[in-house]
Amino acid sequence: MAALEVSELSHSFGSLDVLSDISLRVGQGEFVSIVGPSGSGKSTLFHLVGGLLKPTAGKISIGGEDAVGRRGLIGYMPQAPALMPWRTIEDNVVLARELGGVRKKEARGLAREWLSKVGLDGFARSYPHQLSGGMQQRVAFLRALLADKELICLDEPFSALDAMLRAEMHRWLLDIWEQNRRSILFVTHSIEEALLLSDSVYVFTRRPATVLERVEVPFDRPRRDEVVDDPTFIRLRRRLTDLLTASPR
Amino acid sequence: MRRWLPPTLTVVGLLILWQVYTTVSGIESWLLPSPKDIWDAFVDQRDVLATHTLATTELTLLGFAAGVATGLLVAVLLHLIPGVRAAVYPLLVISQNVPTIAIAPLLVVWLGFGIAPKLVVIVLVCFFPVAVATLDGLGRSDAAINDYMLMSGANRRQLFTKLQWPAALPAMFSGLKIAATYSVLGAIIAEWLGSEEGIGRYMIAQKSAFRADRLFVAIAIIVVLALAIFGLVRLAEKLTIRGRASGRS
Repeated sequence: MAALEVSELSHSFGSLDVLSDISLRVGQGEFVSIVGPSGSGKSTLFHLVGGLLKPTAGKISIGGEDAVGRRGLIGYMPQAPALMPWRTIEDNVVLARELGGVRKKEARGLAREWLSKVGLDGFARSYPHQLSGGMQQRVAFLRALLADKELICLDEPFSALDAMLRAEMHRWLLDIWEQNRRSILFVTHSIEEALLLSDSVYVFTRRPATVLERVEVPFDRPRRDEVVDDPTFIRLRRRLTDLLTASPR
Repeated sequence: MRRWLPPTLTVVGLLILWQVYTTVSGIESWLLPSPKDIWDAFVDQRDVLATHTLATTELTLLGFAAGVATGLLVAVLLHLIPGVRAAVYPLLVISQNVPTIAIAPLLVVWLGFGIAPKLVVIVLVCFFPVAVATLDGLGRSDAAINDYMLMSGANRRQLFTKLQWPAALPAMFSGLKIAATYSVLGAIIAEWLGSEEGIGRYMIAQKSAFRADRLFVAIAIIVVLALAIFGLVRLAEKLTIRGRASGRS
């Protein structure tokens, strides 16, 4: 059973077609990325999967169940960290659990345990504005992870970070994910990022977005940093770049 | 401490200038009493003033509390019930353009000489800044956090209690501070309507007797009272608002 199965999904805002006939699949414990040009409707796809929007046509199922228009089935990490400035870090991390009906006090212990696991010990009682951008992103990821859903959706989470910090965040994310396998749907416009992190990559066209191609990424887990120098990696990167630049309007 | 020094020096300097002017010019003290005359009047009248000040303080606090409660209630209702905001908001604004002095006598006709019309006067001047500021704050919660909450399955109640309300608090306190200073003014006007005791009542009596010195004492008490209530609101704000750098996220 797939963590996420999207079939023949289309969506339009009025006369503007944003997504057209998209089918994709995230298997249990799989890391799947979507790359596409900016404005290709990737965020709309997330809003559909997250139940904020109802698709014009097509099916979405999460964990084998129909998920069209149903909210609260996924862990979500938005592009901006979107932490609540009036909550401490630990209270931000437990937010999704709280929405699911767990009392804040009960969830805090777990939050603290995880904060130290991911290198944020000592920040449990801090407030978001006291943390750097990269640290805020870690908190936002932890919040998505602790939502305790099989499927986690990440919407261009590292696009605002500089290259050095980005590389560090990739390592950090892979370390956590390789020890705690969840099913991840990751949206990015960085080809390198998609190849480095994922098991498979879907390439989207410009609007209205369709799936141009699905590419399997053959490297072993845990993935080494040197994988970027591998000839296969370079060939795949070339290929995806060509696909994206040649993508018809 | 250093922050207080410049304004304190300014006030002391002005008082010295005032004292020197009244002494040198020989102006009649019923026209413009010197600071020394005013101080003497205060010492002479302090027992009477204590009773009046207590009465005004009680009325002010009661009216302020009722005004704030009304303001918050209006804000929450207008925010939560769709359509009501558009229908009622213009009326709120119009209500503020009716001079309090003009409707005060009407209130006495309707409600008699008891405490009721006085409270209504204070509520009328206090509720508006609280309602408008809070309503504004409720409608301005961060869009990214709002999306996150919806994706994570938050219902309307959770959206309100966990996002909109805490996000509105800084704005609400801005409204409370304005209302705090208005409340004392409201109480004085209310006492002018006719009352047995209170600083407003005292002022009317002293005006008829051309006791400028005592009028100045009354004004000083009003200022101190307003500052004290403002200080209380500041204190409550400091205790409530946490985790933001200078009020922003």
